Amino acid sequence: MASELRVNTLKDAAGNNSIATSFVANGSAKGWVNFNGVGTIAIRDSFSVSSIDDDGTGLYSYNLSSAMSNANYNLNSNASRNAGTSGIDTTNRAASTTPENTSSVLLGARNMQNGAVDVEQMHGNIHGDLA
Amino acid sequence: MASILKVDALQGVTAAGDITITSEGGAATQSLQQGLAKAFISFDGTGTVSIDTSFNISTLTDNAAADYSIAYTNNVSTSNHPVTGSNIGSSETNYLGYICSDGVAQATTGVTVHFVYHNGSSNNDQDPVHLVTNGGLA
Repeated sequence: MASELRVNTLKDAAGNNSIATSFVANGSAKGWVNFNGVGTIAIRDSFSVSSIDDDGTGLYSYNLSSAMSNANYNLNSNASRNAGTSGIDTTNRAASTTPENTSSVLLGARNMQNGAVDVEQMHGNIHGDLA
Repeated sequence: MASILKVDALQGVTAAGDITITSEGGAATQSLQQGLAKAFISFDGTGTVSIDTSFNISTLTDNAAADYSIAYTNNVSTSNHPVTGSNIGSSETNYLGYICSDGVAQATTGVTVHFVYHNGSSNNDQDPVHLVTNGGLA
């Protein structure tokens, strides 16, 4: 049977490691995604991400299942060079990310010569308040 | 009225690995477990590498210049988990990009990460390095 617990603070049984439930909610990621950004883009694994869009070479957006309360949320990203490639050369990639609105996040990838490139391993996460 | 719950473990009723929490604005709910970071680490990647602070990290390995591997204490459920990171060397004249999965496919046991100078011409050890892993635990 489903049940609901309303408390302000969580502690371990010994009374240590106290944390306010507000920190649990605020500190939790509100979404994360790992997707293949090459060819027909596809989500590999995600949480609270409803879909991804291919907006052009090296440019993507991902859409959140639940909207954020405002567009000033925290974002992190990563664009990885492909597995099996190494060395300091043109296979290096860098990602940038910015809020598009309360329900969508823009994510871009470029090589070290500042050229837009599609990338196999695109990662992102989002923190902030949900609506 | 303020309340305190003292427990050592939390489990969902319908599914042990899924506890629902209400959003800050009250308009949505989401899984507590899915939202929690599954690992993080801050480390000094110069000289003899050392961990400054970490969670669910068993080992840090210095593979080569600006190339490191981390292993999880408790593995994640798939190799497709997202790992994001940053380093201190980001400025107009000292920009270093964070590269995950440097030549090595991600695994459920950990990842290999790499940093490279902005023009792609060199690798530089970094201090500090910050990494966060999301995803599901095994």
